[in-house]
Amino acid sequence: MGAGLNGGRTIGDVVLDLQGISLAFGGVQALQEVTFDVREHEIRAIIGPNGAGKSSMLNVINGIYHPQQGTVTFNGVTRHSVNTHKAAVQGIARTFQNIALFKGMSVLDNIMTGRNLRMKSSLLAQALRVGSAEREEMEHREAVERVIDFLEIQAYRRTPVGRLPYGLQKRVDLARALAMEPNLLLLDEPMAGMNVEEKQDMCRFILDVNDQLGTTIVLIEHDMGVVMDISDRVVVLDYGKKIGDGTPAEVRGNQAVIDAYLGISH
Amino acid sequence: MAQSDTISGGNVDTFPLLLLEHARKQGNRIAIREKDLGIWQSWTWAQVGNEVCALAGGLAELGFRRGDSLAIIGDNRPRLYWAITAAQCLGGVPVPMYQDAAASELQYVLQDAGIRFAIVEDQEQVDKLIECRERSPGLEYILYDDARGLRHYSQPFVRSLDAVQDLGCGRIGKQPQFIATEIAQGKPEDVAIMLYTSGTTGKPKGVCITHCALINAARGGCAFDRLGADEEILSYLPMAWVGDNLFSYAQALVAGFTVNCPESGDTVMTDMREIGPTYYFAPPRVFENLLTQVMIRIEDAAAIKRGVFHYFMDVARRCGAEILDGKSVGAGERLLYALGNVLVYGPLRNVLGMSRVRVAYTAGAAIGPDLFRFYRSIGINLKQLYGSTETCAYVCLQQDGHIKLDTVGIPAPGVEVKIADSGEVLVKSSAMFKEYYKRPDATAETMDADGYFHTGDAGFFDQDGQLKIIDRAKDVGKMASGALFAPNYIENKLKFSPNIREAVAFGHGRKMVCAFFNIDIGAVGNWAERRNIPYSGYTDLAQKEEVYALVRECVEKANAELALDPALCDSQVHRFLILHKELDPDDDELTRTRKVRRGFVEEKYAVLIDALYSGKTSQFIETQVKFEDGRSGKISADLRIEEAKTYPSAAAKKAA
Amino acid sequence: MRKNFNMIVLGVALMAGLIAPLVTGASSAGFYTEVLLGGLMAGVLYSLVALGFVLIFKASGVFNFAQGAMVLFAALSVARMAEMMPLWAAILLAVGIMVALAFVVERVVLRPLVNQDPVVLLMATLGVTYFLDGFGQTIWGSDIYEINLGIAKEPVMILGNLFEGGILINKDDVAATVAAALLVILLALFFQKTKTGRALRAVADDHLAAQSIGIPLNRIWVIVWSLAGVVALVAGVVWGAKLGVQFSISQVALKALPVVILGGFTSIPGAIVGGLIIGVGEKMAEVFLAPVMVKAFDLAGGGIENWFAYVLALLFLLVLPQGLFGEKHIDRV
Repeated sequence: MGAGLNGGRTIGDVVLDLQGISLAFGGVQALQEVTFDVREHEIRAIIGPNGAGKSSMLNVINGIYHPQQGTVTFNGVTRHSVNTHKAAVQGIARTFQNIALFKGMSVLDNIMTGRNLRMKSSLLAQALRVGSAEREEMEHREAVERVIDFLEIQAYRRTPVGRLPYGLQKRVDLARALAMEPNLLLLDEPMAGMNVEEKQDMCRFILDVNDQLGTTIVLIEHDMGVVMDISDRVVVLDYGKKIGDGTPAEVRGNQAVIDAYLGISH
Repeated sequence: MAQSDTISGGNVDTFPLLLLEHARKQGNRIAIREKDLGIWQSWTWAQVGNEVCALAGGLAELGFRRGDSLAIIGDNRPRLYWAITAAQCLGGVPVPMYQDAAASELQYVLQDAGIRFAIVEDQEQVDKLIECRERSPGLEYILYDDARGLRHYSQPFVRSLDAVQDLGCGRIGKQPQFIATEIAQGKPEDVAIMLYTSGTTGKPKGVCITHCALINAARGGCAFDRLGADEEILSYLPMAWVGDNLFSYAQALVAGFTVNCPESGDTVMTDMREIGPTYYFAPPRVFENLLTQVMIRIEDAAAIKRGVFHYFMDVARRCGAEILDGKSVGAGERLLYALGNVLVYGPLRNVLGMSRVRVAYTAGAAIGPDLFRFYRSIGINLKQLYGSTETCAYVCLQQDGHIKLDTVGIPAPGVEVKIADSGEVLVKSSAMFKEYYKRPDATAETMDADGYFHTGDAGFFDQDGQLKIIDRAKDVGKMASGALFAPNYIENKLKFSPNIREAVAFGHGRKMVCAFFNIDIGAVGNWAERRNIPYSGYTDLAQKEEVYALVRECVEKANAELALDPALCDSQVHRFLILHKELDPDDDELTRTRKVRRGFVEEKYAVLIDALYSGKTSQFIETQVKFEDGRSGKISADLRIEEAKTYPSAAAKKAA
Repeated sequence: MRKNFNMIVLGVALMAGLIAPLVTGASSAGFYTEVLLGGLMAGVLYSLVALGFVLIFKASGVFNFAQGAMVLFAALSVARMAEMMPLWAAILLAVGIMVALAFVVERVVLRPLVNQDPVVLLMATLGVTYFLDGFGQTIWGSDIYEINLGIAKEPVMILGNLFEGGILINKDDVAATVAAALLVILLALFFQKTKTGRALRAVADDHLAAQSIGIPLNRIWVIVWSLAGVVALVAGVVWGAKLGVQFSISQVALKALPVVILGGFTSIPGAIVGGLIIGVGEKMAEVFLAPVMVKAFDLAGGGIENWFAYVLALLFLLVLPQGLFGEKHIDRV
């Protein structure tokens, strides 16, 4: 992984800043006063035991949940609540823990949907396939082909996604998100349910995306080993509170983290 | 060497000259395609000519000289094929290597061939070669085709082929005649390519093949099957295999047809459907995989579809191969086959991407008769050829209309084949390798004073003059009568039954052939249970009278088949016994890859062999065995020895 | 295997019923073909209404009970406005009304009820039904109105040389069929070839994922309800031209129910094939089966067309719960 690299990417300024996020469902406090930031080009992991609030955090960033308190600042724009559509327009893409692909469509069509926001031609022009629309479709198709090439799924373009094995479905999920050419990529347990070989492939792809496309990545993951290997900085959540934040080495040495996370999970 | 009688094509007798000729005569036709980003990109012969010249110029700028070797590692990519020609332009020797080889394996070849330049496909290969370079600093440049992931590699010896071609264009700009002059210095007797063969023993050897030999093999093959400039092929076999070199490189340059490079290893089947090749070459395992994939899809299909498929496959089995061979078949069957062609075989050929295939070859290993017949029966003209790296994969070819399941055809044009007294197949041809690189001893060992190459295979010609390969020559012995004794061939015939797990035949220096058997405990155990035959374990089951009868049936069936062949008639199994224990790698009776260690078994069970040949009807034996938990113990039994019916030879029957 | 067997039995029984009048000599070939064609034409109308159901169900999971009311409302609008302006202008204006209706429904009904139980949404569409029925009568009146497409109504005789007496066929029926076929082709193109079509399919498959890639759910709902409105308009115009615009048109929705059951709730081809099957089945039953039953059981007769479609749909439901073309997802875990 990354052997022989001299580290071409440089971590930039803060692109995503979360301040004092609190989120409750009825009486359940999912997140309490969580504050952390994400810098440009970095791989930022959110870890924690089950029920720690990792997914809730991701859904706040993505605009699915609206926190009761706190602010989310993305690319300098602060918002209290945003819907998913607006998040997508701002350049935030995501994958899902329990793959949420469009099962009735082929791999190619699934990835093409990722280009939806970028397509401009009018409905009529598309339906009639007039010149400019045709050209636009070709341009987007080319972008999609680059993603297909990048994630090495050329063999499955026409396959209905429902027929693919799990590991490949996860890859298509990532491909659809990449087709959006996002500034910020949210990965919800990208390695969940994979075998060792699939995990290695996925790690390689995540690192490649980060390195070659320069995409900022926030990922939540249960598998500690993987996270420590590929992340630049790690946030640790436990019962909705932040209990640790720093480089993998720092987090590993943090007593609160060892007690709360490593202690009980192993 | 027999290079004097070349099938000459004027003085266009090196590969660079062939390329220049195509660029001149059919410059606007497509020479090569590659699927990239979902689209087939293509290059004309004229474009390929320019690309190759630029590449050659760049290599020369970097210091590649006449006689240097150029390693080529990667999947089938246009630029890697061009690299072969580019090296040849400069009088260098391309050395394609297997792309899945580990760094240590590459290391050996790099050192053995003294390689200074390598052209590779991608980051994976670059990484391997950087690792190799730490121990073989002789490697001066690593040039790559696909830049993905290589952006941060700052080593000065790692360069992109784009940069090299830019250098080359600069050189040609200054010295327009440079490449042409270099090409003109090339001679047909120069080594065109070096292919490493693993061989069965020892370190890999570099097989040096001249332009003239490879061109002769390609011309002969093209003439034999009337291949022309209109063929389309898909190049997906490893470039380091002689088969790909002959098929995708030599024949493509000789006949001037179009080569198509698939998008990736996973997409071969889809790409094949899109291209619809007319000429196809694959080792048996590829045909087997294709068939398996088709069968899986059929089993998933609806009941009606499945029923139709199986019905018409039965029809094809009965008459398909005969129809393809142009033999006479009843009108009813013909009509059914025509219907099947519309409903099943046509769509099936389409799924396989073989709708347009006119000639398909398999080689590299023996193909199962059922598999072979399957493809022929659905109307695909699949044929076998016989050859090796040393003979440019060009010794015997099957002729259209004269296909047999168990022969490899007649000697190809320009090839002389004879059978040594030992049964070994000897070959003399104008398409013969020059030598093993830096291994005169090995060259002398396989090439005799009369110019015959010793293939190491044993075989014979059947009544129709077709060559039949039966065994490795070193395993073949002689019976007391002087007849050939090919144990592997006999054992494979015996093992054809699912009930027989292992067979060991004896006969070298004896009057008759006798054999040991291991039954397959799963298959025979099942069989016994269905018949309510009680047994306590392998040893007990093996000695049952009914089981002996079962095995005898298999032996007699094999005998009947052996009797049909005059050369093998004496190899019929007369007496046999079923061993009291299964041959086991833990007891050193089998190798770890489950091949019988013949010598060891012969020694260990000498007493049983004596009993077989002395006419006894039973023999007591006690054997030390190691159990799985590491303890050892003894198995003993009174083994039955039985006789099997043998048949008079076909020739004898005719006489009588 | 067992399911296949049931399907084959049902298929054979239906085919037998279909050809029975012909082989038993109960009908001449010419008359039989006439009945068959009549059934197909009626089927086209059922298909159109069912299509509206399927579109909305596919994209939003809402079972739109108001589809029938939309057909009536659209037909009423066209009929009454055509009295004041040329027909084409009335139709164009009606399209605008249907799109406006879609906006209102999204804003007033769907958006406030998002993420509610499907039953709640079904009730809401029931409300829309009564509103549309009433509102339509309030502004357009409750008499029987005509839509004159300018196509002569007298039947034409075709295939006179093939069958004795030829086959009688209505020109307006032919026009209706052509219009319906065109609409279906346009819809198919729209779904398969445009980014909006792709977005619609995406939303139908997974709301959350569709939102995450920036597909705005609200806009998609408006588009789908507009499409369903346009389909309702075509159905209303065709039906109204044939039978007159009256309240009973909204009952057509009830005929479309067995059609979607038969064809599958999420399948456009299912809606079309289902409509044709119901149309033909009903006509055949009415013309050939009813007299036989009346005779055999000494019944009063009539009314078979009111229940036959449901029985047919029930039979299918027993054998194929997901309908003829319903999607069976192959999921791997």
